[in-house]
Amino acid sequence: MRMERARNDPLVVAFDHYSHRSLQESDRAWDALRRTCPVAWTESNGGHWVLSDYASVAAAFRDWETFSSARTDPEVSSLTIAPNKLPPLYPEELDPPQWHPLRRILSELLSPGAVERLQPRIEHWVSHYIDEFIESGHCEMAHDIACTVPAAVILEHLGFPEHEWPRISGAFHGIGAFPRVSPEFARAVADMGWVASRVSEEVALRRGSPRDDALSFIARHDVDGRPMAQEEAEAVVMLVIGGGVDTTTALTSAAFVHLARHPDDRERLRRDRGLLPAATEEFLRVYPPARSHARTVAKDCEFGGQHLARGDRVLLSEVSACHDERAFPAAGGFVIDRFPNRHLAFGVGIHRCPGSHLARAQFVEIMNQVLDRLPDYSVDDEGIIEYPNWASIGGWAAIPARFTPGARRSPPEP
Amino acid sequence: MRIRVDVAACTGHAICRREGPEVFVLDELGFNVTEPGEVPPEKEGQARRGAAACPEQAITIEE
Repeated sequence: MRMERARNDPLVVAFDHYSHRSLQESDRAWDALRRTCPVAWTESNGGHWVLSDYASVAAAFRDWETFSSARTDPEVSSLTIAPNKLPPLYPEELDPPQWHPLRRILSELLSPGAVERLQPRIEHWVSHYIDEFIESGHCEMAHDIACTVPAAVILEHLGFPEHEWPRISGAFHGIGAFPRVSPEFARAVADMGWVASRVSEEVALRRGSPRDDALSFIARHDVDGRPMAQEEAEAVVMLVIGGGVDTTTALTSAAFVHLARHPDDRERLRRDRGLLPAATEEFLRVYPPARSHARTVAKDCEFGGQHLARGDRVLLSEVSACHDERAFPAAGGFVIDRFPNRHLAFGVGIHRCPGSHLARAQFVEIMNQVLDRLPDYSVDDEGIIEYPNWASIGGWAAIPARFTPGARRSPPEP
Repeated sequence: MRIRVDVAACTGHAICRREGPEVFVLDELGFNVTEPGEVPPEKEGQARRGAAACPEQAITIEE
């Protein structure tokens, strides 16, 4: 049936989001698709729908009863179109009612008040990692700031030992940063297995003897009046790590590159920090770290003039929605004080990113300290390395920078 | 001016409070629990910005 419809349907497009090898190529492909066919079917990757305009993407995110994020194969991620065998991520890969109690845990863990209490640790780690290179006059911004800070903040909060932070965050970073056929990618995949086993070990430890950390908060939480199961806690912790490490990294990296290439924007931000909240939303809109998410049609329906059948896979493009000219005036430009800015970088509906408050707080602190401490940084354009794949999570593998050396804020640790 | 919040549509982005700190009341998880009611004239700007910024478009202004 599906092939029959696909052959006859005028809205079948040749579109493969896994084929885009750069940010610009990905952005342009989404622009072209959205302007011609915002609700389309592609035969790529086994055949799936593609939603690319703001109204369709927002409506589908909100309608979880039709667009399910639950797994149909327990081994395979529901969140990517490619059938990736990955550990489950809860509550994102659950529909209500199972979604609700686990979501509640993340809402508590990452609430605006909880993030306020983490603010001193955010300031500490930003200061610490800038101290590491500030006297040298050069750094690699993707790794030395954008990777290290979010990893330290979330992994310290969870309660992982500090010596494991680079390998944990490196696994998530490496999956995105390196070509699928490379020794670095193979190592990242192997490290991801190690991360899953470490999560399992630490969850088991906390279930037996809790500490004052977020791992214990998750592992010991009740679920609708019963104790949390080991596997549930592991899936929640994997989501907290996966959502916490490489996404804020990508946003921060995007801002570093953007401000290096747009000195007027950097100067305005440097002089007027009151612009930072609005600018944060615009960085999110123009460079959303999570570029697309997959869903599965849970019941036959009409959507955007098309008939969607139960079991069809659907790709929702946050990035294309964020760039939709019908939702944002001058959508192709960067408008530093844009308002309103109802971008979809964090998604909408029940699965909207529960880490959004933490992400914003970290981004603002990083930008404030970078604008204070290395305000004249310049980026070596030849040395910039983008991720080779912009399908799901985009980002930068390297952003080499130079600046006038500055002073540490704290003496080096012995 | 009156504001009305569709609490079922609110998913806790907490953007409204940034734009309207003296108008919008959030619970401890960041969900909008503002009672429907009149907005004093001096706070109408905050209410309008909060409503305009809501990613879920859960806030209605009635004038």
